[in-house]
Amino acid sequence: MNSNVNIHETVSVCPICLKRLTASRVTEKGETRILKECSEHGIFSTPVWRGEPAIQNWNRPKTPSAPPVTDTTQQKGCPFDCGLCPDHNQHTCTTLVEITWRCDLNCKICFASAGNSEGDSKHKPLMRPDPTLAELKVLLKKVRKTAGPCNLQLSGGEPSVRDDLPQIATIAKELGFPFVQVNTNGMRVGRENGLAQIWADAGVDSAFLQFDGTRDDIYESIRGRALINDKMAAIKNLTDAGIGVVLVPTIVPNVNDDNIGEILKLAVAHSPGVRGVHFQPVSYFGRYPEPPSDNARITLPEIMTKLEDQTGGLVSKTDFMPPACEHALCSFHSNYMVMEDGKLKKLSGKGEPCCTPPTASEGADKSKAFVRRQWAAPATKDCGCNKPLDDLDRFIQRAKTHILAISGMAFQDAWTLDLERLRGCCIHVAAPDGKLIPFCAYNLTSMDGESLYRGKNA
Amino acid sequence: MSTLKVIDEDYSSWKCSACGKALTPTPIELEYLESKFTVELPACPECGLVLIPEDLALGKMAEVESLLEDK
Repeated sequence: MNSNVNIHETVSVCPICLKRLTASRVTEKGETRILKECSEHGIFSTPVWRGEPAIQNWNRPKTPSAPPVTDTTQQKGCPFDCGLCPDHNQHTCTTLVEITWRCDLNCKICFASAGNSEGDSKHKPLMRPDPTLAELKVLLKKVRKTAGPCNLQLSGGEPSVRDDLPQIATIAKELGFPFVQVNTNGMRVGRENGLAQIWADAGVDSAFLQFDGTRDDIYESIRGRALINDKMAAIKNLTDAGIGVVLVPTIVPNVNDDNIGEILKLAVAHSPGVRGVHFQPVSYFGRYPEPPSDNARITLPEIMTKLEDQTGGLVSKTDFMPPACEHALCSFHSNYMVMEDGKLKKLSGKGEPCCTPPTASEGADKSKAFVRRQWAAPATKDCGCNKPLDDLDRFIQRAKTHILAISGMAFQDAWTLDLERLRGCCIHVAAPDGKLIPFCAYNLTSMDGESLYRGKNA
Repeated sequence: MSTLKVIDEDYSSWKCSACGKALTPTPIELEYLESKFTVELPACPECGLVLIPEDLALGKMAEVESLLEDK
């Protein structure tokens, strides 16, 4: 055996029949691939980590924490018992609730296949009627009971197509969800003056704004139309209303992977209204006649490296750290203070490992609190500029407003699914029947578009 | 960063117990998790021992530390 090859055993599924398969995470020459073989459909090998920071140094061990309340039992084994089941290793940090399946865009890339007009009888678009306010209240009550006071993301479809979105945010706040975020493409809130303030007054803390780049050709390619003016209007309206904005680019090789640095610079220029940038490498859900090729994928370390390369060293790939909450291979993050001259001062220092791994739930609690604080608008507009300050005061004052969080999260599809990662997931979708399903399991589809969970329960 | 005063109280009556010298305001570099702050603190001119007053340690310094720590 070649000593330069590192093999880590895990479990995955067949991308064609979704049967559970043993799999290996094979690392060789700076590249890690998920390798698996289905007796019926053959061998699948897919890159999941390429380049630096090296996977060997990218870990953050956690002692598993089973969910406090589970809704299913272990019967068929992971990933077929989600609800959550007692075999899950992490609490809920964020719950996504899909409040509509309608959308005012028709993107090539969409987790929910929302508003997708394509489809034959087997692959019908999910054009279900919106859940009513009463139904949503029942659902949110159940989530609040099982997941506790987690952060809540109202998603879709495009949630802003609902005129009663403010009422839904208010219901969520009344039920004790401390942080309510809207996952939006920004079109409506950018075009309708006053709407963002209505959302803010109703309890919306943050917008998870689809923001794929700073150029219109990027939107034309991914979203089917030029949108940069809508995006900029959305940023203005949301920040003016006191809603924290997180820019969320889906990164697609050869479409916008050359624009990563510009996206970050735009975020810096719009700090403190823009609270963070959350990069998402493209993943493949829905129907694909062929497995996506290696060059149709981009991995987290490649995004970290491009962040350094495309910003002239505004940030460094060595700044980034694995998460405290979800599985280490699922995300990276670092936090910065935006200085008066537009430079970034790294805040998230790397402490030396000192002790036994913390429990996963401790990481989830920290992460929940961080998101609540960082992704909402700053608590104060006081920059302390008029008071006499020393260095420490100046630092503390600036930190109250000008912190920017840079992060990235890799979603898993049928090719890249690694059940060790899935069991550590803290981002859960509330299915219409109230069961909590890890995000990547909920959106998982076989190569011919068949879902594992979405649309399978009431 | 420039050196700035972080304490107003007069510590000139304090003496270093090892050297017997009066503490004098001295520029000190505070470092935590790769961030550095240069501040003026009372220190022994002989051995360099620094006095960090309790209210500074439990106040601003603790706040800065928690801001620098990871989530």
